[in-house]
Amino acid sequence: MTKMTFRKLLAATALTGITATAVVAEEVDYGKFDGYTLRVKLIGGAQYEPLYARIAEWEAMTGATVDVLSRKNHFELDREIKQDIAAGTLDWCVGSNHTSFAPQYGSIYIDLNGVIADATLAEFQSLALENSTVDGRLVQLPRHSDISNLYYIKSLFEDADNQAKFEAEYGYALTPPETWDQVKDQAMFFADAPTFYGTQFVGKDEAITGRFYELLIANGGALFDDDWNPTFNSAAGVEAVNFFKDLYEAQAVPAGSLNYLWDDTGLGFASGTVALNLDWAGWASFFNDPENSKIAGDIGLVRAPKGSAGIRTGWSGSHSFSITETCDNQAAAASFVTFLTSHESQMVEATAGLLPTRAAVWDDAKAQFTADGNNFLVEVFETYAVSMSEDAFTPPLITPWIEVSNEIWPQLQAAILGEKTPQEALDEAADAARIVMEDAGYL
Amino acid sequence: MATKRPPFWQREQYTPFLLLLPAILTLLFVVLLPLLFSLYTSFTGYRLIRPESLWQWIGFRNYQRIFADGDFWTAFGRTIIFLTIALNLEFLFGLGIALLINKITWGQRTLRTIMMFPMMFSPILVGYQFKFVFNDNIGILNNALQSLGLSDGAIPWLVDKYLANFSIIFAEVWMSTSVFAILLLAGLFAMPRDPLEAAKVDGCNPWQVFRHITLPFLMPFVFIAMTIRSLDVARAYDIVDVMTGGGPAGRTELLWTLIARTGYDNARMGQANAMAYVSILLSIAFTYYFFTKLLAARKYMGGAE
Repeated sequence: MTKMTFRKLLAATALTGITATAVVAEEVDYGKFDGYTLRVKLIGGAQYEPLYARIAEWEAMTGATVDVLSRKNHFELDREIKQDIAAGTLDWCVGSNHTSFAPQYGSIYIDLNGVIADATLAEFQSLALENSTVDGRLVQLPRHSDISNLYYIKSLFEDADNQAKFEAEYGYALTPPETWDQVKDQAMFFADAPTFYGTQFVGKDEAITGRFYELLIANGGALFDDDWNPTFNSAAGVEAVNFFKDLYEAQAVPAGSLNYLWDDTGLGFASGTVALNLDWAGWASFFNDPENSKIAGDIGLVRAPKGSAGIRTGWSGSHSFSITETCDNQAAAASFVTFLTSHESQMVEATAGLLPTRAAVWDDAKAQFTADGNNFLVEVFETYAVSMSEDAFTPPLITPWIEVSNEIWPQLQAAILGEKTPQEALDEAADAARIVMEDAGYL
Repeated sequence: MATKRPPFWQREQYTPFLLLLPAILTLLFVVLLPLLFSLYTSFTGYRLIRPESLWQWIGFRNYQRIFADGDFWTAFGRTIIFLTIALNLEFLFGLGIALLINKITWGQRTLRTIMMFPMMFSPILVGYQFKFVFNDNIGILNNALQSLGLSDGAIPWLVDKYLANFSIIFAEVWMSTSVFAILLLAGLFAMPRDPLEAAKVDGCNPWQVFRHITLPFLMPFVFIAMTIRSLDVARAYDIVDVMTGGGPAGRTELLWTLIARTGYDNARMGQANAMAYVSILLSIAFTYYFFTKLLAARKYMGGAE
């Protein structure tokens, strides 16, 4: 057996050498699988790729070879996995997964309890593991987490002229927003279409359903009651839809918003034409990189604001890895996913701004950023650490979630565009969602 | 003594069937069986993620659902309108291009090749190209309009009810007009010169020559092109999916974006197949209509029926 020993040095100590502190050494045995070829399907995309550069290390350590069968965005990967289930071609071992998608896949993935060592699992945040559990089975090992906070262009808020004009118009001081009502006021104040916009939102697919969902919660509403009857067509739901509708009608968001997804909003904010942007931490390094962004060095960040019920928005989830029931070498697969979510691997991902699922990596990454003099990433990690621990909630972890979402978002669009009133749109979505829930056996 | 009869597969009257057997078997396995299988699934509650649901017979429930589903019929109607507008525009532009190219004597081959460029792109690339062109914020069209002083706002090309459908039809027409142009050009090349010259001698003006001789002669070619393209457009998916995904609020939803979402994203393959079977009726109707027209046009020209 080859033993791989790596040292988790507290990064600040290692780099600055100022304080003497304990050295945490960890021995991980990744096993030996000479000649074995591990077949995997991974999520692809710029922010996910740096981790895959480490696969060669695992191959060298274990003697196994990794065959990456596909590397697609999650929506395409989801279709491919569904086709594999239908065709009975689950002849691969490890697949990328996500907490929102996992409940759909039934029992194709194994329970990792007992397969991954308890000591290893203990190093993960308990909430991340809880969200990775479906019907009492840990079907995925969380890789990194996702939650959104509010970025803004600092200089706009520091400008004395803006401050005076805003206060004269709205009757309170221009400071980074604490509530979504303030976001709306400020977005309308800064907007000057078509050259500059107050804010923006993703406008289709599960993306806008998620944004609606978190605002619904923040306004004191709920998607379903305890018996799974849809309840999102409540006053809180209408209030949430009106937030998007008012911004759209005031031209405080780009006219094409309803076709936007994550890349469009991220690149839009980096182009310097948007004042406020709710986004995940994965963009942080990009926003602050002068090569890619016109607002580098001029970015402020606050926790996601509160809705009318005083609750902060905090739609959250985790990207993860799963092992198939049909895998012919579950030990090799377990070794592989343990390696890709190890402390070192998560440090690599944290550098890009991706949020770790191992508790210790939060502190170690922050220490590393401090040592590197990257104060912006320190601020990012501090803000996101608070929101992950205090504000995070997932969508319902149920099989028909994506289907329910597909009933909600076209109706949200219809309401935002003024084709229906928010109440009519939500009532129709609730009726359709009820049928989905009935078909799925929840009602 | 009578000779013994050969086994039946060697008898003369069976020879044609024997020779056709490979073709019949291929059609059976490649076309008929999958069609029957998908027809069967349209009567089940088949969901992609639950393979065992393939045996869950639910009778006409899928069909009852889609017949009562307003969204499906809206997409159905929109597909017909989309098809009609796109085909007619492609026909008019294709005819114009073919007539112009037929007139020139120098560089015709080069032009014919250039004309076919849009056909060489994958529909997905064409979708991305026009998604960028029509983007409200960073798209070149809005920027050009603003720079020229023709517009001072961001025109929501891919959001507005009419503009979004216009944008998609524009992309579809851009990509496929050359199909019409090539087929009609072939028709023009095959056209006999005698009637044209006789008409000129009889004093017909160019419009009369075109209206009464050239156009009737081209009509069989037009209907062949229409049949091919109607099948293509009725299956339009890639361009629409990339440019708008059928949205916003279902404003550009065509049959196949709806069917793909039902079948894959919602994993309701049984219901998606029921939708697909209803939509096939549309394709059959268009094909039947164009073939009837084709026969009529050929009869008019004195050709074979």
